[in-house]
Amino acid sequence: MSQVSIEHVYKRFGKVTAVGDFNLQVADGEFVSLLGPSGCGKTTTLRMVAGFERTTEGKITIGEKVVNNHEDGTFVPPEKRDIGMVFQSYAVWPHMTVFQNVEYPLKIQKVDKAERDKKVQNILDMVHLGEYGERYPNQLSGGQQQRVALARALVANPSLLLLDEPLSNLDAKLRESMRFEISALQKRLGITVIYVTHDQSEAMTMSDRIVVMSAGVVQQIGKPYDIYTKPANKMVADFIGLVNFLPGVVKGDRAFLEGTEVSFANDKNLTGNVTIAVRPENIKLSKTGGIVQGTMKHRFYLGDSVDYRVQVGDKHVIRVIIKGIQYGTFADGEPVYLDFDKVMLFNRE
Amino acid sequence: MKHLPRIDSKFIVIALSVLVLLYFIVFPMLILIYDSFVVDGAINFSNYKAVYSQNVNWKALVNTVELSLLVMIASVIITFPMAWLIGRTDLPWKRTFRTILVGSYMIPPYVGAIAWVQMLNPSVGYLNELFKFIFHLSAAPFNIYSIGGLAWVLTLFYSPFAFITISRAMEKMDPTLEEAARVAGASPLRTLWDVTLPLMAPSIVAGGLLVFIAAGSAFGIPAIVGMPGNIEVMTTRIVTFVYMGDDKGIRDATALAVSLMIIANGLLFFMSWLLSRKDYTTISGKSTRPNMVELGKFKHLAFAIVAGYAFVAVILPIGSVVMTSFIKSMSKGLELTNFGIDPWIPVITSAQYMESIGRSLVYGVIAACIGTVLSVFVAYLSVKTNITGRSLPDLLVVLGGSTPSIVIALALIITFSGNYGLNIYSTMWILIVGYLVKYMTMSVRTVAASLSQVHISLEEAALNSGASWLRTCKDIIIPLVMPSIVAGWFLIFMPSFYELTMSNLLYGADTKTIGVLLYELQTYADTQNASVLSVIILVIVLAGNLILNKITKGAVSI
Ligand SMILES: Nc1ncnc2c1ncn2[C@@H]1O[C@H](COP(=O)(O)OP(=O)(O)O)[C@@H](O)[C@H]1O
Ligand SMILES: [Mg+2]
Repeated sequence: MSQVSIEHVYKRFGKVTAVGDFNLQVADGEFVSLLGPSGCGKTTTLRMVAGFERTTEGKITIGEKVVNNHEDGTFVPPEKRDIGMVFQSYAVWPHMTVFQNVEYPLKIQKVDKAERDKKVQNILDMVHLGEYGERYPNQLSGGQQQRVALARALVANPSLLLLDEPLSNLDAKLRESMRFEISALQKRLGITVIYVTHDQSEAMTMSDRIVVMSAGVVQQIGKPYDIYTKPANKMVADFIGLVNFLPGVVKGDRAFLEGTEVSFANDKNLTGNVTIAVRPENIKLSKTGGIVQGTMKHRFYLGDSVDYRVQVGDKHVIRVIIKGIQYGTFADGEPVYLDFDKVMLFNRE
Repeated sequence: MKHLPRIDSKFIVIALSVLVLLYFIVFPMLILIYDSFVVDGAINFSNYKAVYSQNVNWKALVNTVELSLLVMIASVIITFPMAWLIGRTDLPWKRTFRTILVGSYMIPPYVGAIAWVQMLNPSVGYLNELFKFIFHLSAAPFNIYSIGGLAWVLTLFYSPFAFITISRAMEKMDPTLEEAARVAGASPLRTLWDVTLPLMAPSIVAGGLLVFIAAGSAFGIPAIVGMPGNIEVMTTRIVTFVYMGDDKGIRDATALAVSLMIIANGLLFFMSWLLSRKDYTTISGKSTRPNMVELGKFKHLAFAIVAGYAFVAVILPIGSVVMTSFIKSMSKGLELTNFGIDPWIPVITSAQYMESIGRSLVYGVIAACIGTVLSVFVAYLSVKTNITGRSLPDLLVVLGGSTPSIVIALALIITFSGNYGLNIYSTMWILIVGYLVKYMTMSVRTVAASLSQVHISLEEAALNSGASWLRTCKDIIIPLVMPSIVAGWFLIFMPSFYELTMSNLLYGADTKTIGVLLYELQTYADTQNASVLSVIILVIVLAGNLILNKITKGAVSI
């Protein structure tokens, strides 16, 4: 059974189509991320699920309840959707204490005082803010405020939790630890999550499935591993991880690197001009032999790895990343050989 | 020691502007306060006792406080819901309503008073006649010359202060704070009550206090609407005392003026303290577009209420003066044949009237030019330097701007009629000084806001390439903040042009301004010429605002 179902949803602002033909089924207890560059329609999609925007076309169901259906005009406002939401700007109410902030959803539901106190204390403990109930938000750090927001979103046991770039205002270290904290909390409570981010590593580490979006259109929906290893198109390959794109031509069941005899299996049965894609970490460098020959151009030492640029022919510079190899292995200007592994083919245009 | 001269020129400019400000703003106020407390060489309260033991003065103080409170409360009650409807809901036409409500701020209040007297005076008011006709009444239902009438007109013309303050604060408030309440289960109204209202409280109080001060310091409206009904307030009492012309009258006036100043400036001080408290500031991320609350079945009702208010507050009074200016004979009815441009001919061909208009334009231009130059220095000093005391000039300018006009005028009369050296009494300069003291603050704010956007590195680059500080100002800084300078110019020019309260006390035989002329015409019950002049003022102010809007692309308007 599907917990959230988004069917053929469109959102237009005047002439701008912010979201076009969006389809997604989120299972009970699943963690799904919407990932894409800024302006691709992630927030708009999330706000339609939350009920802050109406769909221009299409239908959204949460649990058993149709919350928005443009055909019969069904529209359930946000306060009746039984959701929790965490915003990028924390949105913790500055005129209420931490306790009062977290208590608010229960107060609205008219939960009695004793029960309320227990639940609030419980969730505050869970986000490590048990001691902070009497503080006002301006006495808390950004990370603590974000945890208050999280506690407030979860306290009433909503059937669905929505998060819109919740970590983007935090510094890098905190962001990383919060990722794991949110993940752990989600597993523990078994809650369904839709998580919006433009940060691919955030999406990769936390999600059961990722929805990659671009310009309002879904490019691919899949598990992190599948998105990374089998990107549906050039956009996805480019957005998730690093990738080299090289021109190729299909002849029969082989795709040839343009102007060379080097070829790869045409496993997708493409025709004509194609793009050959290979990730920097899937290339082997050698001084003695490989399928392509080039010249070492630049080397960047990154501590745990070295990031190389190899000139191939006149037109192409190929990026190669090698973990744990000595910086001094190859010298600038030296001829090197490349071997490609896990090559991906896409239609060119 | 290569850059010593730079520091020198900067220092001289700064010292000069501080001296000028001290001499024209602080010195007169000190003299005023001194005069009010010192009787026969001794400091005491006898002057105040004498003044307030007269019932009429005490009554004026009570009236002022009561009216200001009433107007403040009414303004907040009216403008908060409207700011919410316009800022946070799917109310139709909200941009138009915002423009109208903010724009009503630029109608000179005394023009509004003239219009409402035309509409609601008990003998021939247009609306009174209309109501008598519709409801078959034998007597006029409304009498504008009453406390209620006075409060009504004051509310209509000073509530924009509250509207502007409240709706700006609402725009600045992170809308996700409200959205968080919605997902927590609160209805739009509950959200308004639990989140929006408490978070807006400081701004609501601030907006209300602004209205309180403005209403308490107002002269035009109480003079035109209150005096015929024998309702006196502090400002009208002060004017009456000054008109007596003798020392006793002036001394009585000083006691009233200082009382008014203490109330107004004290409240403003309280207000800036309230707004500067950090408790309520929140981190706000990339601002999202606020969710617009759907009004649903209340949409039409809300639209009707807001449209009705905009109509009554703005369209109706303007319509009334415009219509009156085209009525051939006031004694005949409103028939089509009784309309024409006839009333305009004597006004346009009158040398006296045209001279007044010309004079006001000239005074406005002079005040604006001097004020803009000063504003640039003051703003630069407070935003761009770290000299000790850099914000002192700014503070002095704010002090001038926050002091009631009537108080400034009285202080200038006492100080600059020769007793302390300079005598500019009944020349145009005393008017211009008054305008500068009162209106420079807006232009300093505007220039300072834009200067703070200019990064210091641009300036340092010029200094490093060998330009002097004055040269840097001219070549780098001024061009970058030019739009705000022009805006600042208009912000001094326009209120100076139609100023009444100070001009009414400061004008001399040859310096009668358009505001004073209009006020005289109204008190002589020459409502038609008054209407024609009102329309001329409105047109000029509207034109000024359109230019201002063009220059600043809508970011600043009076
Ligand atoms: N209320 C609105 N009115 C007009 N355009 C909007 C509105 N909200 C979003 N958009 C537009 O829709 C597109 C998607 O925006 P958004 O969903 O915020 O992107 P993301 O969250 O992926 O960065 C953008 O081009 C944005 O300008
Ligand atoms: Mg977004």
